[in-house]
Amino acid sequence: MVQNHRREDHETGGENKEKRPKFFINDHVNILIEILERLDGRSLCVAASVCRLWCTIASNDSLWENLCFRHVSPPPSSVRSVVLALGGYKRLYTGCVRPVRSRLGRVRRASWARDEVQLSLSLFCVDYYERLGGSNSNGRLVEKSSPSSLMFLCKPVNV
Amino acid sequence: MLRYDSTSSSAGSSSGSLSSSSSSSKPPQQDIDGLLAGAGYKVRSSELRQVAQRLERLETAMGNSPADFSQLASDAILYNPSDLACWVDSLLTEFAEPPPTCSSDFIVDPVNNQTVVNSAWTAAEPHTPQVHQNITYDEQQSLDNQLTVVTAMEEDSGIRLVHMLMTCAECVQSGDLSLATSLIDDMQGLLTHVNTVCGIGKVAGHFIDALSRRIFQGMGGGSVNGGSAFENEILYHHFYEACPYLKFAHFTANQAILEAFDGHDCVHVVDFNLMHGLQWPALIQALALRPGGPPLLRLTGIGPPSPDGRDSLREIGLRLAELARSVNVRFAFRGVAASRLEDVKPWMLQVNPKEAVAVNSIMQLHRLLGCEQTRNSPIDTVLSWIRGLNPKIMTVVEQEANHNQPGFLDRFTEALYYYSTMFDSLEACRIQPEKALAEIYIQREIGNVVSCEGSARVERHEPLAKWRRRLSGAGFRALRLGSNAFKQASMLLTLFSAEGYSVEENEGCLSLGWHSSPLIAASAWQAVPAWDNHMSSS
Repeated sequence: MVQNHRREDHETGGENKEKRPKFFINDHVNILIEILERLDGRSLCVAASVCRLWCTIASNDSLWENLCFRHVSPPPSSVRSVVLALGGYKRLYTGCVRPVRSRLGRVRRASWARDEVQLSLSLFCVDYYERLGGSNSNGRLVEKSSPSSLMFLCKPVNV
Repeated sequence: MLRYDSTSSSAGSSSGSLSSSSSSSKPPQQDIDGLLAGAGYKVRSSELRQVAQRLERLETAMGNSPADFSQLASDAILYNPSDLACWVDSLLTEFAEPPPTCSSDFIVDPVNNQTVVNSAWTAAEPHTPQVHQNITYDEQQSLDNQLTVVTAMEEDSGIRLVHMLMTCAECVQSGDLSLATSLIDDMQGLLTHVNTVCGIGKVAGHFIDALSRRIFQGMGGGSVNGGSAFENEILYHHFYEACPYLKFAHFTANQAILEAFDGHDCVHVVDFNLMHGLQWPALIQALALRPGGPPLLRLTGIGPPSPDGRDSLREIGLRLAELARSVNVRFAFRGVAASRLEDVKPWMLQVNPKEAVAVNSIMQLHRLLGCEQTRNSPIDTVLSWIRGLNPKIMTVVEQEANHNQPGFLDRFTEALYYYSTMFDSLEACRIQPEKALAEIYIQREIGNVVSCEGSARVERHEPLAKWRRRLSGAGFRALRLGSNAFKQASMLLTLFSAEGYSVEENEGCLSLGWHSSPLIAASAWQAVPAWDNHMSSS
């Protein structure tokens, strides 16, 4: 699994560091990962700015996968390959799941949690498709440097 | 005019004084608002704003105290509604609670933070200056409470504009073009007094343009629909981004198609208007994730031919193919270039008898409706070959409006109401340039509905009830869009604006509306097996 593989890498990196007398979290990467796994999206982004190690761990897509499916029962395994193909969980979370959840939070019903993720996934797919358009453009199609089908999620809703 | 007299105990003196003040100052006849006078109400033009605000307060008061209202209804006091100002004032005092001692205080209603003028009015004081003071104070409160205050001038002009538009349309229908022309000039003058950035002014501006085009350029339509296919695609794309109508259409249709394709391994979707293919990524993704794995998906996209050797259909097909490849869905695309839908023949679609077919029409069927009800009108031809394909599902999304009536005035009135609502809903959009381009898209539709006739008029919207009859008559039966589609649509609309958009379910069809005025309706259909055909297995 991706996470374990990463953990091994960082453990070897950690062992090469000077052993300090007191507890230094960067020496215990598995604990660090356990902690970061439980953060919310914003805190995870902030954590990524702490140091290079934290940045590497925080960009690990499986952490963001946890975030996306945190309140939902685990999805079938086929979802992961699709999401990775469309741009990864971090992008899915920051672009779609988080704004969808926060917008719907006001009127949320308990049964919507799974549907929120599905809707986010559909919007994410349209966004990926539009990003494809930018790269394939031969100058005649509209150049969209930023995905515009998700723009309506970015602006604050004035209700 | 019946003078309101002091038969009622509590309200008598106040209204009496008000009416006495108005009668004593003897307003000149020209000051009475002409338009309302035509409807039987006498209101001074200078008082229009105040009367409007008082009417709003009355409405709130009625809503807040239903007990008082029923008492009012059973009370046998007759008010004279033609003197609108007095009538509203007297009703308002009926609702005001009489406090024991205070004489000129303003009670702030905690529920909606408006001042309710108490029965200070019933005290025997010179009311006229105080009444106007009350109104000024109330205005301040209203401004603070973020009620939109429309100046009397603007409101007046807005109402006048609508009336003039209707009159002008009537002139056009009856052929009185000289009067119509002078009305156009007047309206354009009036537009300068009205806020054209939003609200009635903006819509009115577009309708005035469309009317003048009809009058001056004849009914060929001029350059209304002459935008190139490329331009149309751009406008369509921005319309897709700015408001949820197309997203609602796509997501609802996709959900229905997904459910219809359940259990089939070879599926074929026929899209009557491919544009940029924005509908299909979500379906491809959903098919990729369906339990049991994705089927082989074929997509046939119909669209106008590209003018300059560019094959836009093929480009879209390539993009969709790349997406399908990324998510491991076997995909094949075919483009059919046709400038009109009736030019498409079923053999061009190359439907395989073993595959499950879905026909998807997003706002395309209405273009096939001609004005004459001939036997082999394009709509009948197309519907019959669709039926011949025996699709598993046909998804139809159409504007929920009656813009195909033969009478011009009726059509104009409907369109004015429909597009005003649509522009209102567009106010919820905050992203530019999407919003501006979406407005141009809608403006072109307005132009086509109002200023074109005959074969140039392609925007022949008909309401869902008519489509139901037509499709049932052509051998289709309705499939119910399930609760999943409803849930998804509700969520989608909440993302855009929780307060404005609403989804309604109507005999298995979903319609999206703005503040409960339906604007677009989605339905799903299946071909009824014909009696004299062999009953094929699927």
